[in-house]
Amino acid sequence: MTTPNPLSRRLFLQRAAVGTLLATGGSTLLAACAGSGSNDNGSNTGGGTKSADNPFGMADKATVEAIIFNGGYGYDYVTFAADIAQKKHAGSTFKVSPSTQIAQQLQPRFVGGNPPDLIDNSGANQIGFNTILDQLAPLDDVFEANNYEGTKIADTLYPGAKIPGTFDGKFIAMNYVLTLYGLWYSDSLFKENGWEPPKTYDALLDLGAKAKAKGKYLFVWGKEAATYYHTMAVDGAIKEGGDEVRLGLENLKENVWSMPQFQGIFKALETMVKNGYFVPGGAGTQFTAAQAKWSNDQQAILYPSGSWIENEMKKATKAGFNMKGIPEPTLTDAPKLPYESLRSAAGEPFIVPAKGKNLAGGKELLRAMLSKEAATNFAKTRLAPTIVKGLVPADGFGSTALQSQSAMLDAAGTNIFDYQVFGLYGMNTDQLVVWNSFLSGQIDAAGLTKGLQQITDKVRNDSSVKKIPVTK
Amino acid sequence: MTVTHEAVPGGGPKRSVPRRRRPLTFDRVSFMVVFLGLPLAVFVIFVVSPFAQALWYSMTDWSGFSSGMNFVGFDNYVKLFHDDIFLKAVRNNVLLAIVVPIVTIVLSLTLATLVTIGGSGTGTIRGLRNAGFYRIISFFPYVIPAIVIGLIWAQVFTPSSGILDAALSKIGLEQFKDYAWLGEAKTAMPASMFVMIWGAVGFYMVLFIAAIRGIDPEVFEAARIDGAGRFRTAISLTVPLIRDNVQTAYIYLGIAALDAFVYMQALNPGGGPQNSTLVMPQQLFTTAFSKGQFGYSTAMGVVLAAVTMLFALVVFTVNALTGGRDQRKAKVGR
Repeated sequence: MTTPNPLSRRLFLQRAAVGTLLATGGSTLLAACAGSGSNDNGSNTGGGTKSADNPFGMADKATVEAIIFNGGYGYDYVTFAADIAQKKHAGSTFKVSPSTQIAQQLQPRFVGGNPPDLIDNSGANQIGFNTILDQLAPLDDVFEANNYEGTKIADTLYPGAKIPGTFDGKFIAMNYVLTLYGLWYSDSLFKENGWEPPKTYDALLDLGAKAKAKGKYLFVWGKEAATYYHTMAVDGAIKEGGDEVRLGLENLKENVWSMPQFQGIFKALETMVKNGYFVPGGAGTQFTAAQAKWSNDQQAILYPSGSWIENEMKKATKAGFNMKGIPEPTLTDAPKLPYESLRSAAGEPFIVPAKGKNLAGGKELLRAMLSKEAATNFAKTRLAPTIVKGLVPADGFGSTALQSQSAMLDAAGTNIFDYQVFGLYGMNTDQLVVWNSFLSGQIDAAGLTKGLQQITDKVRNDSSVKKIPVTK
Repeated sequence: MTVTHEAVPGGGPKRSVPRRRRPLTFDRVSFMVVFLGLPLAVFVIFVVSPFAQALWYSMTDWSGFSSGMNFVGFDNYVKLFHDDIFLKAVRNNVLLAIVVPIVTIVLSLTLATLVTIGGSGTGTIRGLRNAGFYRIISFFPYVIPAIVIGLIWAQVFTPSSGILDAALSKIGLEQFKDYAWLGEAKTAMPASMFVMIWGAVGFYMVLFIAAIRGIDPEVFEAARIDGAGRFRTAISLTVPLIRDNVQTAYIYLGIAALDAFVYMQALNPGGGPQNSTLVMPQQLFTTAFSKGQFGYSTAMGVVLAAVTMLFALVVFTVNALTGGRDQRKAKVGR
């Protein structure tokens, strides 16, 4: 009658807890190592046979998955290219999906070893290149292949097309859209007032005074884009001092920001801030709203930006604005690189992960994008040239900004430079803070120098950040 | 043969004999497995194990995008405490966790008092006239998602085109023309705090209203007969009686303030002027996704969790030291 209870409720709970802890503890350990799964070298070339029509050996009836950053340029230009590729490879499926959260969305897929076949790694949430370098396939063979018209792709591109996508000597990102940095203005407004587009910082200061007399400002900035002035200053300093300045920046040299080229420009900018040549309140203004004060309200007369600006402000540009661009100003009128030289680099980096299911398919889609048809479609609909040269007609599809881009590129010739240091080490967020303070007058040129140097020093002294030396 | 005591209804004098356990049948075991084992397993797998994982990751140099990682011990933590930007974020979070809950609780308690016991001085205890209307109005902000609140206020604070600038210049405060509320280091943090408080007051008001409604109205009537004014009633009666609710509200608000990610990301995605509104989760986010340092950012997450627990501990301790425990004992004893 007295069966002793072998398992009291409390004991049961204890045992249950221990049991589950053990069970899940094991899985925790497994999960903790989940990061280290799938190390197999999945460089499946596609399984098809290579031929002139199929240079990467994409398999028949394969599926290609592309994730495209859906930003200022949209993503339908890739869909357009995918349709062309689809026609060439009947039976295969090219799936193009948009994303604005590249890093967040693709991070688990990189860890899990099943990334998509093609990625447009762009936008504010792009994946830092130094974190995924060794997981990307080299793209040299894409440029060696023939395009859909039968010409070798390398011969159809602007010179230096490989440079912005080459890290540590490895060409792993194909930057599709040709971007150049300049100073943009309304030709009609300048003509009306008899203003000359300024070539030096002295001329900028003069123009600032003239604009103020007319109740206008020289510049405007927005909080997320304060570093456009950083780009303008850095490019001006590089033109002024040549490779010495550029390599100093790229290799995170000590006291690089104290170089006279930077100091001269920072001082001139400081004067502009003090004289009230900037539309006040930029540090609290969203950047496209700030840009509209230049393109629509014409409160400010100049804006430093990349050539995407026309497309970005398309809907907020005053009728008859006649947007034109000029190279960024230099400190003196005798800079080391000629005034006409440009920072130009292709943007929108497309990458093919080495572990993608269909490596060849990803490359094939790139080949389709570089075809004359797809590249022309892009230039025409986005009013921006791709790295495929000679596709923008003289009338720039009716856009004055595009015309001036072609003119600037022609004038620059081979005097084209670029640098990657700030994007490579993800320094933009920190620099924004310093530049917002500087442009709103809270710190002076010395404070700006100190702030920028600290950011550079922090990266240099952080042993956990892999440095990529630049020698040329 | 004996008759079990349990069989005697009402219990005999030997009632203190321990009740015998029912035998462990299949029914009972399966019941325990389903209703105890399963939830426990789910909890451990989805709640406890990620914590353990986070601890592990925080001691590696994992980039977040690769499959490999190296164990680096406490290097990440050492680095954290030398990272001026992260320390700035910690300070901002602490400031938020102090100011936002206090102001929110004071405001919502005031409003709750007004709409429940702040009404006419004669007759039954009641709130202001149209109390229901005020209650609904002040609850509105809570219905709007935090991200929307952030975006709306970012527009309000925009220099020159924002409503705030326009309103201030209209009434003659010309010095605020084109003033970048979110762009000046002096005002960015107060402005952001204001938005958070604006978004939270309504909910905590409703919480306090419910608590006050739970108090026997006779207590208030007695106080009134003794000659206590409304303010005295609120301070000496309401607050002590709903002390537990206030403590809970303080902890919830504090946790919200230690997070604050949504508001800050909407108002000042870059961390604000001189990083004056940067909070830990924002720094964690950029470190993980744009700098590709998941190990380091996980360490930030662990610190954030530690700070949150420390905060809760401090609130409990302060409450206990200032007499909260005696109060509860008294209540239980009653």
